[in-house]
Amino acid sequence: MIRVDNLRKDFKVSRKTRKELGSGAPIGKTLTALDGISFECKPGRVFGLLGPNGAGKTTALRLIATMLKPTSGTITVAGVDATREPQRVREAIGFMTGNTGLYDRLTVTEMVRYQADLHRMDPVWFEERRRALFAALDMEAFADRRIARLSSGMRQKVSIVRTIIHDPAVVVFDEPTASLDVMTSRGIVNLIRQCRDEGKTVLFSTHIMGEVQLLCDDIAILHNGKLFFYGSKEEFEGQMTHRTYEDEFIHLVGEA
Amino acid sequence: MGRTLTIFKKEFIDVIRDRRTILTMVVLPLLFVPVILTLTLKVTLRQREKADLETVNIAFIGEEYAPRLHQAVEADSQLVIKLGVAEADVEALIRADSLDGAIVVPPDFPDRVAADEQASIGIYYRSSSSFDVAERRLRGVIDDYDEEIVDGRIRRLQLDPDLFDAIAVQENDVATLQEVLGQTIGGFLPYMFVIFMFTGAMYAGIDLSAGEKERGTLETLLSSPASRLEIVLGKFFVVALVGIASALLSMVGLYLGVRMGLEDIPQEAFDVISDILNVKVIAMIATLLLPLAAFFSAMILALAIQAKSFKQAQSTLTPLSLVVILPVLFGLLPGIELNTKTALIPILNVSLATKDVISGTIEPLHLVLSYISLFVLAGASIWFCVVWFSREETLFRS
Repeated sequence: MIRVDNLRKDFKVSRKTRKELGSGAPIGKTLTALDGISFECKPGRVFGLLGPNGAGKTTALRLIATMLKPTSGTITVAGVDATREPQRVREAIGFMTGNTGLYDRLTVTEMVRYQADLHRMDPVWFEERRRALFAALDMEAFADRRIARLSSGMRQKVSIVRTIIHDPAVVVFDEPTASLDVMTSRGIVNLIRQCRDEGKTVLFSTHIMGEVQLLCDDIAILHNGKLFFYGSKEEFEGQMTHRTYEDEFIHLVGEA
Repeated sequence: MGRTLTIFKKEFIDVIRDRRTILTMVVLPLLFVPVILTLTLKVTLRQREKADLETVNIAFIGEEYAPRLHQAVEADSQLVIKLGVAEADVEALIRADSLDGAIVVPPDFPDRVAADEQASIGIYYRSSSSFDVAERRLRGVIDDYDEEIVDGRIRRLQLDPDLFDAIAVQENDVATLQEVLGQTIGGFLPYMFVIFMFTGAMYAGIDLSAGEKERGTLETLLSSPASRLEIVLGKFFVVALVGIASALLSMVGLYLGVRMGLEDIPQEAFDVISDILNVKVIAMIATLLLPLAAFFSAMILALAIQAKSFKQAQSTLTPLSLVVILPVLFGLLPGIELNTKTALIPILNVSLATKDVISGTIEPLHLVLSYISLFVLAGASIWFCVVWFSREETLFRS
């Protein structure tokens, strides 16, 4: 379970950044990336955080993964307060980004073992999980190959295993299919479904409406740091004034 | 500590599989230093030998006024007199490399010598030419002639030769060979290990901070249960280890270079060096290297993590490698010694303490002050590094 209450995140804007942004720079000395948002992701359901580029999706996910600290508001992950006990929150999370976040000079097994060691997994349990996941994703053939020598599809598989090797209760995906081909994206979609079926809390950010329609049980639409919609997929469909998800999304964001 | 060790092990594997780090940590100190040193020593020695055997072309102007000197020059097989050179052309010919030097005897020379007065002889040479062979040869032959004239006068006037040697200085140098070598080797060693320690640590440090940020893997690490302190310490220990390894390998490289470059060096000299570099001395130098490596590593990590890319970090840190060498160069200046003040100046204290440790003249108080200064600085640098690694603006600059 992830619970976000009245979450706000301001970033200080340095003089250098202000110069770089030019006319697009914020007026004050701070930039509000998230402005008092609240939502809840339940176990066994897939929560889709939607929004155009710069909406604040990545900031929200980084706050949930305790990489950033909120300016105000609270986040609870698996019953743990993210501000008070960030380390315990990270123990309960599997976090996956679109760029895979893999170390090119490690072998596949070394990479997965590193993640497991950071989560202090029991060696016997790790070996069991590794064998099962490698077999399920057909990875044994390249288990000892360096990551730099893998294809993008193979890398994505490694990234998946790295994310869930410690069997986290909460899985967070930051635009996981943003730069992937159809075949590789399918692997991610299957993983999200599998996590949901195992009763995990799944939160993923995207701007691909097809994925939202296919996977999400709950939806939140974020734009300029504010929530424009938050509810179940059925509720979203019930209030739609346009035929497709994409048209409705463009309409909502355009109106804002 | 468990996660720090996990990060340390992973970063160590990562670093030793990086070609750039291996190049600066192993290849440069272990191969580059001996090759450069051997080449430099061999070429210098060969050039000196060649210069010593080379014949020097000179002009002798006014030979009729000093026929004995002319005879002596003619008798020297390495001096060749070029005939028909006018005094007015001497300078131009030497500058044009047509002549190496010249002796000019003025017309009043024989009269002044006969009158037991001081006579003068002019010599021309070019001091910028290699090894000043012409000057040395000309001075040598004139000094011999001068001695001959003075001996003649002493004999003729029936004087005691000791009359002109009022004081016979009896030299008693109480410095041991260890002290002498300590001041020379000890001055050069810190220069080598500071450069290699900083360069080795720099590439590893950039790779593990700015490089990780650029590759997008930092987010993976930050989302793991490891705390910022554990992340910093894991990386810090690897960078420090690479720095120390680079410094030690540069010492090995230096030793190999001297061994290969100077085959003629007597075995006794190596025995003395081996005696000096005993376990105690090496251990004492190593204890100076540890806090220095800690200081460098933390400083490099703290600065590199602020950069957006490897290149940006490199352009920030490369000029710093010149700055850190300045205190070492300062330590090579005459009169700069390890005392209660200089022992508190980082890098300079390592440079001066190394000299004193090798010489065997180190004062325990100065050594303790050096340790305190370095450990305080290293601790502050690590703390500073953790602060930077915890700042959102630093980690997520974009």
